[in-house]
Amino acid sequence: MKDARTMAYINLFAVLGAIPYLCQLDSASAQLIAGKSVSIGFSVKGGPEATLFFGGGQCRMVPGTERCQVKLPFTSCEKFNGLIDGTVTPIPSKGFTKVGFLLGPFTKLTDRLGAFLKPAPGALSDPEFFRVSTTLMFHVIAEAIAQVANQDTIGQFSASNIVDGTAKLSIAGGPAAALCCRDHRLTAVHQAPEQFLSYMEFQGMHLARDLFDGQVNAIAAVGLGQVRIGGMISQIDNINRILDRVAVYLA
Amino acid sequence: MKINDYSKSREEYLRACKVIPSGIYGHQGPAEGCYTPVEAWPLFSSRAQGSYFWDVDGNRMIDYMCGYGPNVLGYHDPDVDAAAAKQRQLEDCVTIPSTKMIDFAELLVETVASADWAFFAKNGNDVTTLAVMTARAHTHRKKIVFFKGYYHGVSPWTQKMDYSGVLEEDVMHNLYVEWNDFDALAELFDRYKGQIAAVIGQPYMHGNFKDNELPADGYWQKVRKLCTDEGAILIVDDVRAGWRLDLQGSDHYFDFEADLICFCKALANGYNVSALCGKEFLKGTVSGISYTGSYWLSAVPFAAGIACVEKMKKLDLPKILNEKGKKLGDGLIAAGQKYGFDLHVSGMPSLFYLRLADDPSLMLHQEWIAECVKRGVFFTTHHNHFINYALSDEDIAETIAVAEEAFSVIRQRHPKD
Repeated sequence: MKDARTMAYINLFAVLGAIPYLCQLDSASAQLIAGKSVSIGFSVKGGPEATLFFGGGQCRMVPGTERCQVKLPFTSCEKFNGLIDGTVTPIPSKGFTKVGFLLGPFTKLTDRLGAFLKPAPGALSDPEFFRVSTTLMFHVIAEAIAQVANQDTIGQFSASNIVDGTAKLSIAGGPAAALCCRDHRLTAVHQAPEQFLSYMEFQGMHLARDLFDGQVNAIAAVGLGQVRIGGMISQIDNINRILDRVAVYLA
Repeated sequence: MKINDYSKSREEYLRACKVIPSGIYGHQGPAEGCYTPVEAWPLFSSRAQGSYFWDVDGNRMIDYMCGYGPNVLGYHDPDVDAAAAKQRQLEDCVTIPSTKMIDFAELLVETVASADWAFFAKNGNDVTTLAVMTARAHTHRKKIVFFKGYYHGVSPWTQKMDYSGVLEEDVMHNLYVEWNDFDALAELFDRYKGQIAAVIGQPYMHGNFKDNELPADGYWQKVRKLCTDEGAILIVDDVRAGWRLDLQGSDHYFDFEADLICFCKALANGYNVSALCGKEFLKGTVSGISYTGSYWLSAVPFAAGIACVEKMKKLDLPKILNEKGKKLGDGLIAAGQKYGFDLHVSGMPSLFYLRLADDPSLMLHQEWIAECVKRGVFFTTHHNHFINYALSDEDIAETIAVAEEAFSVIRQRHPKD
């Protein structure tokens, strides 16, 4: 049911792509990159390429590896997915002088990311941990929707039924994202759009968390007014079908 | 005007959620029903009569969904109910069928232009599925052509590869083509030469979230000829539109002949029966298909169906329904214009579709529909509506008054520049 290539796109752009938000949301992560100026490129043969740039106390991800200082090549999507699973140790092809960042702060960052995305039992009872974890999950899911829509066969079918325009996803009192659809390809923009064709808003962070964790039925939540949908609902309907696929990949 | 309160509906919904998946599943639930916002809609009814139902809070709703189609003569039509009651005193679901089944089949063969026989089941999905099985059995081919925006039921073959619980293998022989694009259909037949078992389509495109689209001039005639030339079966899914366009079948209305035609909804004014009718050359094929159900030969719905069809014929019902629908549509358009709104009414008047064209996102439309529903007119935001015979001129006038007030509310909320 899972396609390794799609998984690689999710792992790179949605999971590692959440590191910039981690550095914004989590002070311990921000401290790890304070004063650092380095870029790490991930190059997956037959799959995605992107670079994480660290500098000025911030992090950003950019597609491509042309300007990276440290380059991590992977011979296949499966190998790259192994990095995320912790079963593959990457070997840089360039940037050996910066390898200290890779082995030190970057490894700690990814460990911290893992702790937030797969919380230990009881961790979510800490309100701040809960806020960071749920916000990160939101961004991972929003990005994963776009990746599944563009890469996964079934996701592409769902996207083929999405009309052009922007869908707004949001958590009331929390993060928002725009899923911009053009010619049946989706791009995630991790902030609220000014204008949108459709929307889906979760009532609050706790409801969003329960939905992410599969503790609440989304259809019942619509009936209870806990999830608000509106506008061109066919967009939301198809995005929800992609969300079902996202759950398969992120499970 | 009174604004409805739905406190009891909400309480009942909470109760339902504990024991029923998603509280109310399917098209009659708040999610699939696109209740936007959900607070504007009642969720449970308590009784129905004529063109109205009353919800559990006691709000009377003028019902333009008609149970999503079955209510064609009015809830509790006295003639249909009397026929059903009379039959119920005799028998209903018994070990062997009643001859009411033959009576009903004879009536359909006499009434429906393309019917040489009738096969009965319960839901529309039962007969669309049988139609596809029949086409495959007859042609020994696998591919089925669908018009994009279709709805033919809920069996896996009618769904799509991205629907929950549906396998790619369930839909691997489905082919999709744009409605009214004959060249694309012909190209599909060329590409899959000798592989297409059937084309299945509703008589016109009544897809959701967009204006309904009638067939282009000569479109169905070309589709008919193509199917005949290529040895494919032409299936008309008349479950939704059937009996509201033409009592001889919607294919007859659009001047062509289907090989198989599917009926349900308005067939028996709410009594649960569906029918597949078809041409003589397919009768033997249907006979050879293993297809049955515990309640499919129950006599009460047959009696109700006979009374319903006979009454519809006596009234020349489609003409009346289209007149009522036209009157309503014209009134709604005028009410919108009064407040500067561009309301589009599409499809046949007897099953009209509404869309406020001022806002492509449909959010303004959803606001207006919600304000109508809160005032006792049951519209939906995404689906075509249905007219029934019991709908009176007073109901239409009341609906237009409600719509006008709803437009005024929306205009206050969204002043013109």
